[in-house]
Amino acid sequence: MKNLSSRFFVTAWLLLLAGCASVTTPALTTTPAPPGAQAGQTVVIAPLPKTAMSNNHAVIALLDQARTDNDSGRREAAGSSLERALRIEPRNPWLWLELAQLRLTQGQYAQAITLAGKANSFAGHDSRVQAANWQVIGQARVALGNSAGAEQAFKLSADLAQQAKADNNSDYNLK
Amino acid sequence: MKLPSFFQNKPRFLFGLPVGPLRLVALLLLLGLSGYIYYLDVTIREAFDGRKFALPARVYGRALEVYPGLKLTRDQFVGEMKSLGYHDNPQPDTPATYRNILNGIEFTTRDFVFGDGDQPSQHLRIGFADDKVSSLQVRGSKDVDLPLLRMDPPLIGGIYPGHNEDRELVRLNQVPKMLINALIATEDRKFYTHWGIDPRGIARALYKAFTGQRIEGGSTLTQQLVKNFFLTPERTLTRKANEALMALLLELHYSKGEILETYLNEIFLGQDANRSINGFGLASYFYFDRPLDRLEPQEIATLVGMVKGPTVYDPRRHPELSLKRRDVVLKIMVSQNVITQAQFVVAHRKPLGVIKRAPAGTSPYPAFLQFVHLQLQRDYREEDLRSEGLRIFTTLDPFVQHQAEQALKIRLAALEKQHKITANTLEGAVVVSSTQTGEIQAMVGGRDARYAGLNRAVDAQRSIGSLIKPIIYLTALEDPEHYTLITPLDDSPLVWSQQGSPDWKPNNYDRLFHGQVQLRTALAHSYNVATARLGIGLGIENILGKLPLFGIQRQPPPFASSLLGAFGLSPVEVSQLYQTFADGGFRTPLRAIRTIVTADGKPLQRFPLNVEPVAPPGPVYLLTAALQGVVREGTAQSLNNWLPAGMNVAGKTGTTDDLRDSWFAGYTGDRVAVVWVGHDDNQPTGLTGASGAMTVWGEMMKNIQPEPLEPAMPDDVVMVNVGPVSGLRYDTDCKAGMLLPFIKGSAPTETSPCDTSPADESAAKAEAKPGGNQDSGKKNWFQRLFN
Repeated sequence: MKNLSSRFFVTAWLLLLAGCASVTTPALTTTPAPPGAQAGQTVVIAPLPKTAMSNNHAVIALLDQARTDNDSGRREAAGSSLERALRIEPRNPWLWLELAQLRLTQGQYAQAITLAGKANSFAGHDSRVQAANWQVIGQARVALGNSAGAEQAFKLSADLAQQAKADNNSDYNLK
Repeated sequence: MKLPSFFQNKPRFLFGLPVGPLRLVALLLLLGLSGYIYYLDVTIREAFDGRKFALPARVYGRALEVYPGLKLTRDQFVGEMKSLGYHDNPQPDTPATYRNILNGIEFTTRDFVFGDGDQPSQHLRIGFADDKVSSLQVRGSKDVDLPLLRMDPPLIGGIYPGHNEDRELVRLNQVPKMLINALIATEDRKFYTHWGIDPRGIARALYKAFTGQRIEGGSTLTQQLVKNFFLTPERTLTRKANEALMALLLELHYSKGEILETYLNEIFLGQDANRSINGFGLASYFYFDRPLDRLEPQEIATLVGMVKGPTVYDPRRHPELSLKRRDVVLKIMVSQNVITQAQFVVAHRKPLGVIKRAPAGTSPYPAFLQFVHLQLQRDYREEDLRSEGLRIFTTLDPFVQHQAEQALKIRLAALEKQHKITANTLEGAVVVSSTQTGEIQAMVGGRDARYAGLNRAVDAQRSIGSLIKPIIYLTALEDPEHYTLITPLDDSPLVWSQQGSPDWKPNNYDRLFHGQVQLRTALAHSYNVATARLGIGLGIENILGKLPLFGIQRQPPPFASSLLGAFGLSPVEVSQLYQTFADGGFRTPLRAIRTIVTADGKPLQRFPLNVEPVAPPGPVYLLTAALQGVVREGTAQSLNNWLPAGMNVAGKTGTTDDLRDSWFAGYTGDRVAVVWVGHDDNQPTGLTGASGAMTVWGEMMKNIQPEPLEPAMPDDVVMVNVGPVSGLRYDTDCKAGMLLPFIKGSAPTETSPCDTSPADESAAKAEAKPGGNQDSGKKNWFQRLFN
């Protein structure tokens, strides 16, 4: 996880590789492909630098803390830090996404779906975070045995990621 | 086999008494005495083992998170530090001290063990500018920026064992030698050598008893401990004898160290309302707000002096007596070589130094604490809550709580005066929670917020009246093929017959019928008849059956009158209902507890954020727009006297028959709040939702300074410019129109040329009025709301 974390800092762009066989969630967690996930349905979304997720240093410090805790298996503590961050920025879709990913790792699939939905409700027109949200929803649906729903989610995620890539050059820097 | 000689040679005397009947009596006596001693033994051991570790649960409020950019004034921060027991100190380098500097404050935090780990004490500096935190730094040879500081949380109460005993457990090795030596020198110099009693002391007590004097003194520490276990005021010889016997028994079973440690934690050292202060560990905080190991010699002497009479020598109530007693102890300390002559000279000159206000023990927030206790009782046994030393981290925000208490107190008094209501008869309750996390930040159970009696926020079930209406409108808006915000509703007379209840003829508050009204207008002006007809059309059971989804477990009677809220709910239940509207259709169960940690700092239970989608976001967005209409142009218009229109508050007034209940429920961008005002005996108050509860709401929110409401627009919603009265579609640049949200595909298709006829124009002006930004021309209120 460590080298993944360090990539958050160096990767400045959201990259998309449709059709990759492995599933990597963008930020907090790396979840192995759930049973039933098929190649071709998943996308790899390279993580976003944390500074693009919030311009509040307190929130970033808490994100760091959450990731450190999560990397060492302290999921409860990670959740606690994310909730602290959410109290500071309750309408930040990236934070809701992080919490959704954490619940996914914890096997709380229904919560993961709801939280990703909540992240979507705050996403506005940011297709990057939407793509990542649908990715989480897809994985949770796979785990819940809803393969048709998962396929839909992955498709949506891929489309949104494409769009994010297209938007990259135009409005990314405006954020 | 030979029997032992004892049985062969019958002795003529037993214990010096003649054999025969007397021997029997003696044997019986001996048996009886043994039995009695056994009884005492069991009693004292139970008391000793049982009380040894009875530690109250401690309840903390939210820990203030401080970071650059946070909206926080210097005064607010100083207030927070003071409530945490921080002291102004020219050298703020010891924990819990601070000093004001130009544009900021230097301070040192306390060590604190949170559920997620230890947080050591830090030397810090905070800067303020424009009512915000402008900088946060760790002080050192080179100052370092700190992104985030979590202050230690305020202690807001405890759940105490037995007779409300509070204590701060200390281990023997944590207690300063000086205190132990001073205690032994003052109270019981032979402690380490006697068997629990001091024969000379007993002799003195006996002599006094026979000469008819008051029996006092002469007790060893062991006897005092026994006495403390069974606190009764009587001073009889039997009692003294029992105490002496039990003291002997204690010494048989336990070491001197164990007895001393228990004594140090058990001895009664003061009273704080209904809470008793037990042990030196807590007394040290209670009188000096410092741990034992940081007490100075004269402070130790004050505490040791109090053992003789905690009430008489209470340094707050009887400072002179306490000072005299302290000096007596100091003299004993120097004469017994506990302190040096030099230490004595310094200590003797110092004042008592007791802090004015004791740290919170008995909770200043009884309503909230009762709610927490109620939630805990679902998962924990009462005796564990009262003895295991659990640390409970809650969501209460003392700043928000203070504003809620003040607003209720001030407004109720003003309302009584203004409406000629008998003084001090109006009551009320307030609940404030955070929109996105469902955390309860404040709960007020009555106008006397300190009084731990009826908690109206939880226990009062009062008719909710029109507060129910949003559920009906939401149900309608979930069917966009048939209902939009501008769908005309019929507000003409209605008679409804239903089996099991008499014919029902709902009336409007203004006793008028309004004919055809737009759906948003019917909600804004809270028209009962149009709403009832809408609800009946959608199905009474269908509507009422939705309540559990929104977290309301109580089932109202299945009658049409329930559609107008003719059933009781508590303010906290109403909060749950509006929380879901405020959060875009996501239900987050209201929470008062974040984490529970064991006495040694291990996390025991977390109450994580849980979210359930219960209503589709599009219709909820439309409902919020309609509820904003209530404040902008409807029954809650006068809220603008408290809050700027740009706050875009969404809310609903509730008024019940004969003006018995006055409600207001509403939300801003970050908070949901519900206020109820009424009489406990359900007599009419003469107040509507707007003239009563809403004024409390406004006063409170004005001081809390909430975030404006700017809900995120869901994908299936579009904004369309329509004629305010005609409901026809206008060109986007038609200034006479108003932008309203519609579920995609449900907006009117019939277009109309931009109509600036007087009717529509005045209506459009009315809509635009509270929007603030008047000169923005075509940008009307909705654009400003939802841009």
